[in-house]
Amino acid sequence: MKFFKIKPCHQGYLFILPCFIMLFLVLGFPALMAVVNSFTPIWAKKFTFTFDNYVKLMQDPVFWNSFRVSLLFVGGTVILHFLIGLVVALALNSQIRARKFFRVLALLPWTVPDVISGLVWRYMYNPTQGIINYLLMKSGLVDTYIEWLASPSLAMPSVILADVWRGYPFVMVILLAGLQAIPRQLYEAAEVDGASAIQSFWYITIPSLTRAIVVALALDTIWQFRRFGLIYTMTQGGPGHTTEIFSMLVYKQYFKFFNFEYASCIAVFMAIILFVVSLPYLKLIVMGSKGE
Amino acid sequence: MSKLKLKSTSVAYLVLGFICVYNLMPFMWMLSTSLKTLQESYAIPPTLWPRDLTLSAYSKVLVYGNFPLYFANSTIVALSTALFSTFIGLLAGYGFSRFFFKGKALLMGIILSSQMLPGVLLVGPYFKMLSAVGLYDTRTGLIIAFTTITLPFSTWMLKGFIDTVPVELDEAAMVDGCSRLRTFFSVIFPTIAPGMVATIIFAFLLAWGDLLWCLSLTTSESVATVTLGLTRLVTQFRIIWPELMAGSVVGALPPIALYLLLQNYLIEGLTRGAVKE
Repeated sequence: MKFFKIKPCHQGYLFILPCFIMLFLVLGFPALMAVVNSFTPIWAKKFTFTFDNYVKLMQDPVFWNSFRVSLLFVGGTVILHFLIGLVVALALNSQIRARKFFRVLALLPWTVPDVISGLVWRYMYNPTQGIINYLLMKSGLVDTYIEWLASPSLAMPSVILADVWRGYPFVMVILLAGLQAIPRQLYEAAEVDGASAIQSFWYITIPSLTRAIVVALALDTIWQFRRFGLIYTMTQGGPGHTTEIFSMLVYKQYFKFFNFEYASCIAVFMAIILFVVSLPYLKLIVMGSKGE
Repeated sequence: MSKLKLKSTSVAYLVLGFICVYNLMPFMWMLSTSLKTLQESYAIPPTLWPRDLTLSAYSKVLVYGNFPLYFANSTIVALSTALFSTFIGLLAGYGFSRFFFKGKALLMGIILSSQMLPGVLLVGPYFKMLSAVGLYDTRTGLIIAFTTITLPFSTWMLKGFIDTVPVELDEAAMVDGCSRLRTFFSVIFPTIAPGMVATIIFAFLLAWGDLLWCLSLTTSESVATVTLGLTRLVTQFRIIWPELMAGSVVGALPPIALYLLLQNYLIEGLTRGAVKE
């Protein structure tokens, strides 16, 4: 009964209340705890404020290796997702038959859990029993068994290629939606004015697609930074530390070495990077919703 | 001109043909391996398609293994997550779409930026919290965690859908004497059903596919999910590939089936924010 006595202008708070209670309990409070932990030295029994963990972090070669590996993984996958996604989106947007069939098929890998895609690709990469070496040898391209996941130099490219299979379809779907929203008349007008296909691509397609590109790249970057199941099932960060992306490193620090404080410190660092990377996206979305 | 069009169409077919092979090859390999005998899966060179078709891997996994249990756990967790997160997200989305209040922009900013928090930042402290309240190693603990992770996206997606419903509909209902809550349930709820379907699938896919939280927040076999069960089949010394692939096929089926049945809703929900504000 009390609900209806609340002033109408305050009813909005009631609707968003459950959401914020959950967010605070499961995201806000743990995030705060992680930040506090990250300033607490490992030897301390209760909270003490020092920069010990951060100093240690800056001098830790394993951390810097992970930093480099994460950038390589995120950069490599996001760029490939984008390029393949764009090509496939353009193909799907052209005048072809059975477009619906191809679209359904193109997004299919994205629905598979990354754990499963990691396992399947791990077996495909198997040097002697896997299908990839078999096909390569049968076609005469290579004549020895390649150790895709066990070789330090090939492990990262192999993991990236496996991720591309599952990751590009999402980017493709966003870009395709952007392409479909471009009015046909724009292209017709350009054609009348004698523009070439490449010119209309550069001067019509790309500018009209800006919003879709920003959204796709930002969401993809955020998700790729958090990718865990794929690496966990394929390499667990190995061989050595060559595929040890941040999420893998933090997980190991938490649950393998039980360095909660140090793990929090790495995770906080990772969160800051993520936030900075996603600023353009946040800006675009918040500006967009203000304009309404 | 038509020559150019013909050329670009054939390039499109070429690209799509290649994509078909690329996208389907891992599925074929998964299926083919799951139908092989153990000896054949160790064959060098490998066989593309099983010489002796057998369902023994499936029977091992489904009858003698714990897979029915994993499957039930994943279903309970993912379904509850999807429903809770959509319901709470719907309430919040309605609040953001229909009311003006102090700090609205800030609160929306918080919702959006909470998506950026990486899971590994939260699992450690969350693990301690769950242990303290006795929810560690329970499905409830997982459901609460997943609901919250999907909540920002659900809220945002549903706010977008509610924005497309004219405010006049709400007002008409309220003039007729409906309360806010009644309006919400009898006007908004049915009108944005497609949006809710999209959000439900999205949250379901996310919860079904997660590994990090399952790995960090559960230990016992009785609450293990499909993804966790699969990683436990991988031991350091020996991997029984046919069984692992049979488990993967089973684990991939629900998301694929959901997607195939409801893909139009899902795609509409995913792409809405990218096309218009």
